[in-house]
Amino acid sequence: MSFLQSIDISATASGRGQLIFGDHDGNLHFIDRDLQMSSFKAYILRVTHLYQLKQHNILITVGNDYTPKNPRDDDEGINPLIKVWNLDKIDRSGQPLCSRIVRAVPGNRPTKVTCINAHENLNYMAVGFENGCILLFKGDITKERHSKSRILYESAYMITGIEFKTHTSGKPVIMFVSTLKEVICFNLLPKDRDVKTVLDQHGCPVHCSVMSDISQDNQFVIGRQDAVYFYQPDGRGPCLAFEGDKLRIHWYRGYLVLVSKEVKPSSLIGNVQSPGVHIITVYDIQNKLIAYSGPLPEVTDVLCDWGGLYVLTGDNRLHLLQEKDTQTKLEILFKKNLYHLAISLAQSQQYDQDGIIDIFRQYGDHLYGKGDHDGAIQQYIKTIGKLEASYVIRKTEGRDVDFDVQTAIRVCRQAGYYKHALFLSEHHQQHDWYLKIQLEDIKDYDKALKYIGKLNFPEAEHNLKTYGKILMAEVPMETTELLKRLCTDYKPSDKPLVDAANLDGGAPTVKRANPDEFIHIFVNNHHKHDKLTEFLEHMIKVQPNSSVLIYNTLVELYLQACSHEMEISARVEKERKTLDLLQNPESHYDLDQALVLCQMYNFKAGILYQQIVQYHMDHGEYMHIIETCKRFGQQDPNLWIQALAYFSGKEEDCKQQIIEVLSHIDDRNLLPPLLVIQTLAHNSTATLAVVKDYIVRRLQQENDQIQEDERLIEQYRTDTEKMRTQINELKTSAKLFQVSKCSICCHPLDLPSVHFLCQHSYHQHCFESYAEHEAECPVCLPENRKILDIIRAQEQSRDLHEQFHHQLERAQDGFSVIADYFGRGVFNKMTLITDRSATKSSLRQPPRPPPRKC
Amino acid sequence: MSYAYLFKYIIIGDTGVGKSCLLLQFTDKRFQPVHDLTIGVEFGARMITIDGKQIKLQIWDTAGQESFRSITRSYYRGAAGALLVYDITRRDTFNHLTTWLEDARQHSSSNMVIMLIGNKSDLEARRDVKKEEGEAFAREHGLIFMETSAKTAANVEEAFINTAKEIYQKIQDGVFDINNEANGIKIGPQHSLTNPGMSSSSGGGNQSSGCC
Repeated sequence: MSFLQSIDISATASGRGQLIFGDHDGNLHFIDRDLQMSSFKAYILRVTHLYQLKQHNILITVGNDYTPKNPRDDDEGINPLIKVWNLDKIDRSGQPLCSRIVRAVPGNRPTKVTCINAHENLNYMAVGFENGCILLFKGDITKERHSKSRILYESAYMITGIEFKTHTSGKPVIMFVSTLKEVICFNLLPKDRDVKTVLDQHGCPVHCSVMSDISQDNQFVIGRQDAVYFYQPDGRGPCLAFEGDKLRIHWYRGYLVLVSKEVKPSSLIGNVQSPGVHIITVYDIQNKLIAYSGPLPEVTDVLCDWGGLYVLTGDNRLHLLQEKDTQTKLEILFKKNLYHLAISLAQSQQYDQDGIIDIFRQYGDHLYGKGDHDGAIQQYIKTIGKLEASYVIRKTEGRDVDFDVQTAIRVCRQAGYYKHALFLSEHHQQHDWYLKIQLEDIKDYDKALKYIGKLNFPEAEHNLKTYGKILMAEVPMETTELLKRLCTDYKPSDKPLVDAANLDGGAPTVKRANPDEFIHIFVNNHHKHDKLTEFLEHMIKVQPNSSVLIYNTLVELYLQACSHEMEISARVEKERKTLDLLQNPESHYDLDQALVLCQMYNFKAGILYQQIVQYHMDHGEYMHIIETCKRFGQQDPNLWIQALAYFSGKEEDCKQQIIEVLSHIDDRNLLPPLLVIQTLAHNSTATLAVVKDYIVRRLQQENDQIQEDERLIEQYRTDTEKMRTQINELKTSAKLFQVSKCSICCHPLDLPSVHFLCQHSYHQHCFESYAEHEAECPVCLPENRKILDIIRAQEQSRDLHEQFHHQLERAQDGFSVIADYFGRGVFNKMTLITDRSATKSSLRQPPRPPPRKC
Repeated sequence: MSYAYLFKYIIIGDTGVGKSCLLLQFTDKRFQPVHDLTIGVEFGARMITIDGKQIKLQIWDTAGQESFRSITRSYYRGAAGALLVYDITRRDTFNHLTTWLEDARQHSSSNMVIMLIGNKSDLEARRDVKKEEGEAFAREHGLIFMETSAKTAANVEEAFINTAKEIYQKIQDGVFDINNEANGIKIGPQHSLTNPGMSSSSGGGNQSSGCC
């Protein structure tokens, strides 16, 4: 651009499709996209600052029209004049319309302008001065009339930068100001109630502050020697430690452009610096990468427009830094294998989904090529949903030797390509994966089970342990079958019956799984208890020497079944089974546990006190026997008898024990004395002394009992005799009714009256209104009815043989129970029937038994 | 979003101990196995609730490298809490704690709550610094101690929140002057009756004089 060579550039601006240069002769030069230049003279002397608004085609310039006469002021830049140009309008002379001209003088002492900025809403314009003043114009900045100015702030240091925070949603206008020693934020509120916040006690030189765009949250960016600092309205934000003397700092579409004087050798570019050469570095802040870095001679300004960066150098050349399109950028990154950068770049550029997927794939391929298969798969996983799974599979298939099949399977599985994954896992004998997919994804339990059945022993065992629970829940029948096989003589189902190895003469190795380890499979599966029972029954049938656990579990299952069984016959059947198992000498169940279980399920028959006692007997622990008897004697008195028999059978001298046992037997009246004697008679050591006390006491008791009984018999006899005579009297002799009062109203009787044999008489009207039944005496009725009820109850209860047997068993003295039942007439069918007939026949006579009490 | 208090935190410690990962885990709940070197100071924020109050944590994640020390030091001031991080698999990072602590005490407000964090607790197999040692160091210097894993997120929440609780407790006890922003505590917009910045500006008092 040769025409630039002739211009003595003093200021630049850009935006809205053109580059603008101001020169030291007061001219403004506009260069459009076609590099056509147009110029006009804006100031008589020179242009010093340019500011182009982004949203309006308005240019603000600062320059000098004339040098004031005052000799105190030196030749340059004093008495600056602000001109606002509306570039859309052309005035009569063909130049852009200058809508406003205002002197930029803070107070009354002119000083150099260092920076100028305007808010996009055209209501604020701020000018910074060398002496530290900020002049703020409020109101429509394009028109003289509606705008007033005031000094916003006077700093001790030169103002180096002013930026308005645009895109603020709220009311307050935020203005950042940097001086040489401060960073300040002004919150411009209506009515001049501005709030000033000092953000930092460090400042920056001129041209070293810029506003970032929305990608960095519109922060104020300051370039200092040690780092680039970001500021938010309420305080300091992050910082980036880019070292170096910064000359200019610009922001371009998410890029931070730094022009710096020198670069330390430690930095990325190790160029030897010659004086006058500047380094321009373009940082992509979001993706954390350096987009460009290169030396350029004496950079004087950086302009951004037309989708590129124009760097103006000291020799008035414009260097264009063109941003590459995303694809090219990515390719560069790919070439450098910076895939994660590429991904982050693509994402920040809103690259489309397929494109990003493709990067993941390339990354995956790259990692794959490097041999980092796991990493590759990690990337492939991210392509799931878009990339054809077959791509990955082909890749893995083609070189399955060096590829981690597991990860491939994982990919397919995650992608939902279960068939592929299944195929792969079957092909590569990844049984675990195969089953996982089959069970958890496809949920084909039958197939999974069959698959397990085909595996060789250890694998089948392992897998069944792992997946048994699921399988049991879904296909209990088949699973139980397989378990049976596995725990007896397992052979893979697809192998010939006779193994080749066996034919070679090798001993047939029968592998059996330990059934203990499978019991848990059935746990928490209440409906499958019968399956477990079936399994365990099978196990003990095949291997009677099964472990204790098996037996214990089986006992528990039986007991559980018993307690849950409602139907009596089935229950009896189950109880029988349980007892069989418990009594089977081959059963290796744990005695203690079985006891606990029986107690838990309230299975009386199984509470094996006898077993315990037997156990102690086997070991000759006398003390323990007695202890046990004492402990459980309540539940099962037979223990004592057992103990007695044991002790009496002993050849050793165990008088003490016998005496003790006897005393207990005596207390509870467990054995007839004759039996005791008989038992003891077998013992050669048991002397008479041992039993003497017992026998004497027993005899004494018997005697007492006999006497008591005889007395009672006598009493009952007399009573019966008395009743007999009474009945006889009633039957034969006449009865005299001498009662004078009515038994209901207690008034003297008068006719007509009703008389009963029980010596109760009534007025007829009293009787009729009072009596329920004309054949019965109302006073005696309750008593009679009670007796009748008892008889009836007895009649009914005599059919309850069950109850009778039950009572008989429980009773200490069976004879008395039988006697009782005799009394109730259990063995006498006629009792009540005769009564009935008697009642009917004897009108107005109380039924038997005779009303003794009246 | 409105908050009752804003606490400023700073995360310090040797390079590579996982400071940025801790922050990322706390703010974004994710873990990046490959993390770029922090250049300068990065920034993260999250809301938490303590005692029913919304508290905004503003966290400064500093570069651990020695060459950035001068920059990061300027961030100490105005921090209410500091997470001093070491790597349990690298003893040297533990050995440097004293230096870090001196630095922090020197450049920050005296009330700053410092939590000592032994990071990478997921790498138990490669452990080089015993948990007891960390506890002892913390006890000796009056710090709170915790072992975390930015990878598994174990204790990460707790580390940040416990520090905040400690600060909150100190506020309740009146240890912190909450009106002095140099302490790294800021009262939320709805809580402050007068904006501290208001008094320094010219027209601040005019309007409020009418109603009081």
